[in-house]
Amino acid sequence: MSIAFKPEETFRGDYSYRNSDAAILRFPFPFPEDRYMYSVNIEPHTRSGPSDVFLRPFDVDEHYIAECRDRAITLERDPGRCQVLPHMMMAQWDTLELLMENLSADYPELFSLTKEGDDFGSRWTWINRPLRIKQSFIFGDAGTLPCEPFEYITRQAQGDFAICDQRDDNLYMDAGMITAQADWSLEFDVGMSFMEWHGPVPLAHQAGVFERALKYLLMLRLGQPVRRLNWTMSINPRLDTSPESFPEWGPDRSSVTPDNAGHKVHLRVELQTLWRLPRSNAILFPIRCYLASLDDLARVPKWGKRLNRVLATLPPQLAEYKGLTRYLPATLEWLAKHDDGAELPVGTEAGVTTLAPR
Amino acid sequence: MMHSDIKSRPEYRALEPDLAGNRHLLVIEGETLQHGRLDALAGTFAPVAGQLQTWLVGAPTAASGLGKVWQLAGPDAVLDAFACASRGFGMGDRLYVQGTEPFLWSVAGAAALVGFGPGQVQLHHAGSLRRRVWCTHCHAFTDGVTTNIVPCGGCGRHLLVRDHFSRRLGAFMGVMVDAEAPGEIPAIEEVFA
Ligand code: HEM
Repeated sequence: MSIAFKPEETFRGDYSYRNSDAAILRFPFPFPEDRYMYSVNIEPHTRSGPSDVFLRPFDVDEHYIAECRDRAITLERDPGRCQVLPHMMMAQWDTLELLMENLSADYPELFSLTKEGDDFGSRWTWINRPLRIKQSFIFGDAGTLPCEPFEYITRQAQGDFAICDQRDDNLYMDAGMITAQADWSLEFDVGMSFMEWHGPVPLAHQAGVFERALKYLLMLRLGQPVRRLNWTMSINPRLDTSPESFPEWGPDRSSVTPDNAGHKVHLRVELQTLWRLPRSNAILFPIRCYLASLDDLARVPKWGKRLNRVLATLPPQLAEYKGLTRYLPATLEWLAKHDDGAELPVGTEAGVTTLAPR
Repeated sequence: MMHSDIKSRPEYRALEPDLAGNRHLLVIEGETLQHGRLDALAGTFAPVAGQLQTWLVGAPTAASGLGKVWQLAGPDAVLDAFACASRGFGMGDRLYVQGTEPFLWSVAGAAALVGFGPGQVQLHHAGSLRRRVWCTHCHAFTDGVTTNIVPCGGCGRHLLVRDHFSRRLGAFMGVMVDAEAPGEIPAIEEVFA
């Protein structure tokens, strides 16, 4: 398998990010039904599912190089987007190992890892061909890497990453590499417990969603990762929708009209996976973000129609929390033109193998 | 005392001496010291009075019946006092703090640095409901906030004070209220008296 990377595309400024037809067809569309509500939507992260993005534990796609560059730009401007509390060093190495092993096994043309042993003190060599990196280091000795192990490996990965320390029957967000978040602040949240950082989410606490999810996660087992999809919307294909930079991207929400919604409004889907880490017993929480414009989505007729119905019936508290309120009417006006009201089969599959022409 | 639905804000309770502790440190923010309340506090802590030390912070008058009492000038002096007293604190010690919310969390933060675990610390919110607000954009703090929207002391943006609280920062989150439509600032109201 070879991936045609788009190293020049951008997630800011001129927003030149685009999806190929193949990328649209493998988009992890999150709505199996015409209505949406929060639930404990956790399932085993097996190498299968309705979209190709589920085939490998850590999906790499055509946006890999451009996303790594966008992360570097954000970190340059705001180094606080990567934070690791001091007791998390073991979890940092666990994360580096997990990513290097999986990436090199699943994408041997892109990444390679050679080891002289599995233990601390052994020499490892990592090769990342797309980013042209070759690094030899001593596993367990942070001084042999250009920066700490968590920052080192997550600068070379798509998606955000949080690490949760498990103690006192709770999870604490004690580390993160967060440059593509849907409007939450790592600087504010670092060190918080599971219920605290989920504090602002409406309706889900009352429905017992977080209580059940936490119980489930505390029992998460090594080698049995799980996953869930989360979604929101973004204006322009922008990865850095942090509260820190809200003054920069907030005005875009006022720019949506029924005429431009097709290319401005993007569905933002997060493939969130959860991994027990072997030495630290912490939980790694990768948040892999996929962006598709309404124009993209409507080329899969089932998705365009379904999105119209989900958004038209979305509980107002969810619309407000996700920041959609201002541009939802224009978005719905655009989507309604792509929905003939026909009944749709349950499930998230595209239901087509080629796309309608642009 | 306040009741709140804010999930990230702790439930504050009345202070109660933990008899399992062997030494007890009570830290009180002076402005929350009311005359009648002082006797009540002394009564509450009477069972441990022999092992009690009290730090009165910024209080105009001295207090009695609270063990050995020290007067400290302000919150910074509390941090200094912890720093030089740290050799003395251990697992058996108990810390009780009474004050406004920013005071509670600056003391709790300083105590954590010298080794007080969560199980050793009680916090009691008293006095004003004014909020300390942390600006998500420039990361400056604005203190003594009583309104739903406040100009940031750091960058001057008008911040909406959200009901989301960080113990580490001892502050509520402030987010630019007119970021989507610059200049559209809703009515400003007194809400945290
Ligand atoms: C343990 C790893 C997890 C981390 C680090 C995490 C982190 C977060 C954060 C930072 C937010 C944003 C809160 C805000 O507005 O400030 C959020 C939202 C949310 N989380 Fe989690 N979460 C985790 C696991 C879960 C799980 C297992 C569930 C399963 C039900 C879940 C459900 C949600 C929901 C429903 C939202 C609201 C999202 C939206 O409507 O856009 N989270 N999470």
